[in-house]
Amino acid sequence: MRANDLAVDLPTVTIDLPVMDAARLLAQHDLPGLIVVDAQGRPTAILPGTDVLKMAVPQYCLDDPALARVIDEATADVFAHQLGDRTVGQALPDTARELPVVDEDATALEIAALMARSRSPLVAVVDAQRRLTGAVTLDGLLERVLEP
Amino acid sequence: MSATAWAAVVVFVAAYALIASDKVHRVKVVLAGAVIMLLIGATDGHTAFFSAEAGIDWNVLFLLLGMMLIVGVLKRTGVFEYVAIWSVKRARGRPFPVMVILVLVTAVASALLDNVTTVLLIAPVTFLVCDRLGVPVVPFLIAETLASNIGGTATLVGDPPNIIIASRSGLSYDDFLVHLAPLVVVLLVVFIGLCRVMFRSAFTYDPVRAAQLMTLDEREAIHDRRLLVVSSIVLTGVTVAFVLHTVLHLQPAVVAMIGALVLLASSRLDAEEVAADVEWPTLIFFMGLFVMVGSLVNTGVIDEVSRTAAEAAEGRLAEATVGLLWGSAALSAVVDNIPYVATMAPVIGELVAAEGNTAQARSLWWALALGADLGGNATAVGASANVVALGLAEKAGHRIGFWGFTKYGLLTAVVTITISTPYVLLRYFVLA
Repeated sequence: MRANDLAVDLPTVTIDLPVMDAARLLAQHDLPGLIVVDAQGRPTAILPGTDVLKMAVPQYCLDDPALARVIDEATADVFAHQLGDRTVGQALPDTARELPVVDEDATALEIAALMARSRSPLVAVVDAQRRLTGAVTLDGLLERVLEP
Repeated sequence: MSATAWAAVVVFVAAYALIASDKVHRVKVVLAGAVIMLLIGATDGHTAFFSAEAGIDWNVLFLLLGMMLIVGVLKRTGVFEYVAIWSVKRARGRPFPVMVILVLVTAVASALLDNVTTVLLIAPVTFLVCDRLGVPVVPFLIAETLASNIGGTATLVGDPPNIIIASRSGLSYDDFLVHLAPLVVVLLVVFIGLCRVMFRSAFTYDPVRAAQLMTLDEREAIHDRRLLVVSSIVLTGVTVAFVLHTVLHLQPAVVAMIGALVLLASSRLDAEEVAADVEWPTLIFFMGLFVMVGSLVNTGVIDEVSRTAAEAAEGRLAEATVGLLWGSAALSAVVDNIPYVATMAPVIGELVAAEGNTAQARSLWWALALGADLGGNATAVGASANVVALGLAEKAGHRIGFWGFTKYGLLTAVVTITISTPYVLLRYFVLA
């Protein structure tokens, strides 16, 4: 089983897309994250859904979880409005992470090792020109490797 | 002075300059400085580790460690959030009374705990409260940081310079309460008046936003009632034991360590997790610093400085006290007040002893504490709490520049030191 066999087509985003639109994509397609590509279609980063959430949650609730509890239900329900007009680029972490990218002939174990090491629920698959050809999701990988 | 003494001075000054420049991490600087002092023979292993006068001050280290462990448990109770939100709700969302309450909560907490911890605890609550009120958070955060440095001045455990002074001088927790706390109360009242003027544009009242503040449910902040009860009992016990430590014949460091161990044992928390919250780099910094200052004591440099200072101060103790107050404030504004006080403590110790350890002579200790603690407010880098507050503000997207802080801090430092001057003169000289 190679990356080619495991890869599926997933929507991609660019860094100037509003992060609110990225959040909608995550919700509509039931995705664990999104692949960020440059103008040439080459993957530059993986945006995990948790990073989108992190941007929507007020910093004081991240610093002090007790404060998330004191906020009333009505206000808590609309926390996603905090995303405002911020972009995908702003949601990406400042420090560079290992880019979870594999070639089309990578094995399932190679992909699993990369996912585990980079803690990314998504691995981008690229061709010889480093252009995105698909993506392997954590769900998809587990489903295939656990098949009887 | 011997060649070794001069070499120790060179190492010390170089290390101080590096710490002040902030180019190299201060822990690395003091560790390198301590190692060089050992290698050039300015001190030795026995002196560095076991000498009460010229070695690592274990009283200071264990008092800090004990308090850090207590705070490590206490912050998991949510009590701080509870008290802060409950208090600001009494102000019914009117911005200035909210600021007054946050300033008072911070000052009191800073007197019981250390300033940096207090700022770390109050800042998230402040972001939430200001978010709800729709008022700018920066003035509130600056006011609290300044209040934490003022409040921390009041007690032996409130600010690390006070801990060093207490250990080197033998002054008790009650001495700090009797000599500094009354002044701090006056300073806080004046500071609140200053806040009204300095931050006047931040107090826009919006009844709709005020109503949003009232929907916060502070009771939800308390997650583990048992932990809250246990922590409250231990913190109260520790504070009472601090007050009675001379009667109980227990060093403050012993009180703090007993409190920390009782709390850890009874809290059911993972001790390793709590210990991870201890600021180990700060403790290592203190160790290296004490070895470096001890080398100056060991090689006779401090004796030399003290003799010169004693000659200059002879017959002019009042002038010396006021000079020390303002000089300490000026130096603490630009360099970290912890190494400053660690260096000055042996000098002041010798000066006080030379003056017969009278109440008047001990005014030098109070001048050192007031100057170092209150002077830390003057600039954005004057105290650790200021640096931490600026970092938290930036992380939350509210950048406060050096001058954005310093224009308020400098005014506050000048006003508080100006008020402290007649206090020291009247209490220890005119009315003594």
